[in-house]
Amino acid sequence: MESATKRRRSERVGDWFDERFNVRGPLETFLKKPVPKHALRWYFCLGGITFSLFVIQGVTGILLSLYYKPTPEDAYDSILFIMNNVRFGWLIRSIHSWSATLMIAACLAHMLRVFITGSYKKPRELNWVAGVVLLLLTLVFGFTGYLLPWDQKALWGSTVGSEILGVVPFVGEQLLALLRGSPDITGLTLTRFYGIHMLVLPLATFVFLGFHFIVIRRQGISGPL
Amino acid sequence: MSEPNESGQAGMLDQPVSRRGLFVLLGFAGLATAAGVLTPIIAYIWPPKQEGDQAGEPVAVASTLDLPPGKGQVYSVNNRPVIVINTPEGIKALSAVCTHLGCIVYWDEQRSAIACPCHAAFFSTNGDVISGPPPDPLPVYPVQVVGDQIYVEGGSS
Repeated sequence: MESATKRRRSERVGDWFDERFNVRGPLETFLKKPVPKHALRWYFCLGGITFSLFVIQGVTGILLSLYYKPTPEDAYDSILFIMNNVRFGWLIRSIHSWSATLMIAACLAHMLRVFITGSYKKPRELNWVAGVVLLLLTLVFGFTGYLLPWDQKALWGSTVGSEILGVVPFVGEQLLALLRGSPDITGLTLTRFYGIHMLVLPLATFVFLGFHFIVIRRQGISGPL
Repeated sequence: MSEPNESGQAGMLDQPVSRRGLFVLLGFAGLATAAGVLTPIIAYIWPPKQEGDQAGEPVAVASTLDLPPGKGQVYSVNNRPVIVINTPEGIKALSAVCTHLGCIVYWDEQRSAIACPCHAAFFSTNGDVISGPPPDPLPVYPVQVVGDQIYVEGGSS
């Protein structure tokens, strides 16, 4: 009793939860796992940097969705509204745009580190595969997000980019129509890309990120060179 | 203050920082960072300024040709809904926000009354409550007709 009153308030809050859920032990092992000495280098932070950028994309993306309108009539005007009328709208949108580019760069740098340190080798093959899927998801994020401002650059960029799918042998035309939702880039493409960008990709990324992180904790990071 | 150091300045850096002092400094740094992130976000989600937010000048809503006698229509005046009716006593403008629970009223041509779709309330063209639950009459706004243009003043609360 006496010791309980001496404990600090933060600890007492922890006690309250521990009494009910008995999680202190497992949580401490999870949070206090030491990072191996050979991994205390900046280039072992590249994966974490990529994830931080993903979190920034999530926060700024949700903020942009408060004002963005995914229709051919309103999309560009809503971008102008964000840039000119919304307080700090220019900042939020610019962070989203820059962080998107940096995230792809960070992804590639992280991948290069994993390749050079040979961390993809047995038993971590599947985590490399998950990482490749995450890179592809990031690229599709970038591709679908590029159309959303609905300006000339977005329209022609997406036209040229999606045209590549059309040269796939035999089924190219069908794939292209499936991606665009119409023969050309139209309002149907805009809502399609918006749905992919806002719902499909975030959910898919959560699944693969979860797998990526759980596997890292399960296997530990690879040993020194 | 401690003794001056080699460069002659009172050396704040020479003084040892206590463990507690370090935590206080870290706390300030954390708070400053959080404030720097949260301030733009809160400012961003705060309703932005739009054209016509400041009421004042009368706003042209329609032509009398669009609003023949006996007709009524809801228009946006300074981003607020205003119902404009061409009555036998002239053109009238009233707030279109029902004083009961804020639904947007419409002009019931057959009854010659302003009606609320939510709880079947009726107002006269002067804004007075004829029947239904609204506690107050609808505010009336000044109207000017110049040529065939109808101008309504107000709209902003």
